[in-house]
Amino acid sequence: MDFTESEERLALRSAVAGLVAGYGPTYYRSKAQAGEYLSELWTKAGELGYLGVNLPEEHGGGGGGIGDLAAVLEELSAGGCPTLMMVVSPAICGTVIARFGTPEQQRRWLPGIASGESILAFAITEPDAGSNSHRITTTARRDGSDWLLDGRKTFISGVDVADAVLVVGRTEDARTGRLKPALFLVPTDAPGFEARRIEMDLVSPDHQFALFLDGVRLPGDALVGDPDSGLLQLFAGLNPERIMAASLAAGSARHALERAVGYARERQVWGTPIGAHQGLAHPLAQVKIELELARLMTQKAAALYDAGDDAAAGEAANMAKYAAGEVSARAVDQAVQTLGGNGLASEYGLGAAIAASRLGRIAPVSREMILNFVAQHSLGLPKSY
Amino acid sequence: MGVQGGRPPAMNIVVLVKQVPDTATERKLNPADNTLDRASSDGVINELDEYAIEEALLLKEKHGGEVTILSAGPDQATDSIRKALSMGADKAIHLNDEALHGSDSLQTAYALAQALRTTEFDVVVLGSESTDARTGVVGAALAEYLGLPQLTLANKVDIDGGTIRIQRQTDDGYDVVEAQLPAVVSVVEKINEPRYPSFKLIMAAKKKPVTKLDAAGAEIDPAKVGLANATTETVDFAAAPPRAAGTVVKDEGTGGVQIADFLASKKFV
Ligand SMILES: Cc1cc2nc3c(=O)[nH]c(=O)nc-3n(C[C@H](O)[C@H](O)[C@H](O)COP(=O)(O)OP(=O)(O)OC[C@H]3O[C@@H](n4cnc5c(N)ncnc54)[C@H](O)[C@@H]3O)c2cc1C
Repeated sequence: MDFTESEERLALRSAVAGLVAGYGPTYYRSKAQAGEYLSELWTKAGELGYLGVNLPEEHGGGGGGIGDLAAVLEELSAGGCPTLMMVVSPAICGTVIARFGTPEQQRRWLPGIASGESILAFAITEPDAGSNSHRITTTARRDGSDWLLDGRKTFISGVDVADAVLVVGRTEDARTGRLKPALFLVPTDAPGFEARRIEMDLVSPDHQFALFLDGVRLPGDALVGDPDSGLLQLFAGLNPERIMAASLAAGSARHALERAVGYARERQVWGTPIGAHQGLAHPLAQVKIELELARLMTQKAAALYDAGDDAAAGEAANMAKYAAGEVSARAVDQAVQTLGGNGLASEYGLGAAIAASRLGRIAPVSREMILNFVAQHSLGLPKSY
Repeated sequence: MGVQGGRPPAMNIVVLVKQVPDTATERKLNPADNTLDRASSDGVINELDEYAIEEALLLKEKHGGEVTILSAGPDQATDSIRKALSMGADKAIHLNDEALHGSDSLQTAYALAQALRTTEFDVVVLGSESTDARTGVVGAALAEYLGLPQLTLANKVDIDGGTIRIQRQTDDGYDVVEAQLPAVVSVVEKINEPRYPSFKLIMAAKKKPVTKLDAAGAEIDPAKVGLANATTETVDFAAAPPRAAGTVVKDEGTGGVQIADFLASKKFV
């Protein structure tokens, strides 16, 4: 058993940390306020190969694992730039296409995803099928060799910067009942495809959209891989998604903790730094412990996934996502408290982080659904729904 | 040494890289022998050396050839050597010997000169000073030991055939300095923007050759190096006094002038 990351992984972390130091929370915030994407950082990270570390070398990727990609995202997030589209584009969509796409789909999409020049969004959530994906109603029917896609999606991130959306639907002959998914690559400029921005109380350069798919005509090869592998494809994307969501949350927690600790060391109101008071020191120490536990579980999940053990990775990835979601909310909560009035002053960026820090408990899968998973699969308890 | 005269077909560039304690952490001296306590803080590449590495890589991209990292330091300097290789250098020489511990600037220059005699080069690039010792004399002393021209404080380097021309940064502009290769050139941070290591180069760095060299291998005379033989001695040290409170300028119509005077007195304007 090995509890230290490889030399290369550590070097990657330090390189990414160096890059993001030139951008930081001020850059992230100003981009969010201007309604602009993190294009400069995204482009640079893509050029350096950081966005595609997990993708196969023959398609322009780095030939590394999801653990490497997770390290990149954690460092970007810890540096104040939680780069949400990394969860979606290289991790979910990149993995699904690399593992199940046809050779033509791989040639078409992977090099762009790896370099960051193409971005793919991912759409599974529907207004009437949130946590319950068995209720997905987005349906594709055949029209000659084409597909016609109808349905609605909601909370889809990054559609404004995406070239295409990987849409989870079902085919007409499997329209109801347990989900037999079919995944389609839908260009964002396809006729009949409409995206409407949802107003969110998040200060973020990433935006969420409601999608309206109204008879969107797609060529036959828009269906990813072969039609019977949809469920496997979906599962293949889930572990990377959770590991990445955990890394984003853990990185954001690190960022908040660092701010709090830096402040607690300097600020004095009774002649001694406020960090000397156990009322502040202990909760920060607790956050540190929970953060390291979450990181450890995230790295374990990534190691299991990269070793090819999807089933064991599934349990670990869910637990890691739970733990990281909890600590990101707690770290920001305690950081705000540590800074007193400055905790809510725009200059320190923690007020805005309060809303963002709740994301890890909600998406891509809620805390309650993870607890359901652990109760049923890990503990063998009966199901209520 | 490199090709004599004419345009070298491809250049052998050596970059001197020193591992220093991270300036972001608290740095300590070891009270036992007044030398740097390297174990007490993380080692990083001396910041100016990153500019030297970048300049070497740019020269290689323009003229072809190879970039070799030369670093004198203890075992943990390996980390900084790897980092330099992951920026794109081709190979490295690690001069590592207990006998070198405590060497001062002159002795270090001598040791580096000896190490350089084990390899071919057309140009040696180094940062103009290190963030720990800050003597800024190693480049000059090295050139002297090697009997080569030195071009210091470069903010621009051009090589044309066997001629190297730099802009030497001065307080009010720059001098143009020219010499024949091989030569030693030290750089300042205005010269370029060091690159970040790409994932591919990070993965490749481990496979690049690092030649281990000890004092004997570099034919270093043990009587000329090390703390006991140093030409300078650290007699005592004390912590820097805590920063004094700043001067508050109250603007009663002359605030702008006072600030300008202050900046001028500190040579900022
Ligand atoms: C910022 C942001 C970005 C997003 N980006 C994307 C994206 O790019 N693509 C995408 O497809 N989706 C995206 N989502 C959607 C996200 O995945 C969903 O919001 C999430 O899965 C929860 O679904 P829901 O919102 O419909 O909540 P619901 O399913 O309605 O759940 C509401 C509450 O009920 C609880 N609950 C539901 N069922 C149970 C149960 N059986 N037992 C106990 N409790 C239960 C939930 O835990 C939750 O607390 C994003 C969401 C956000 C906020």
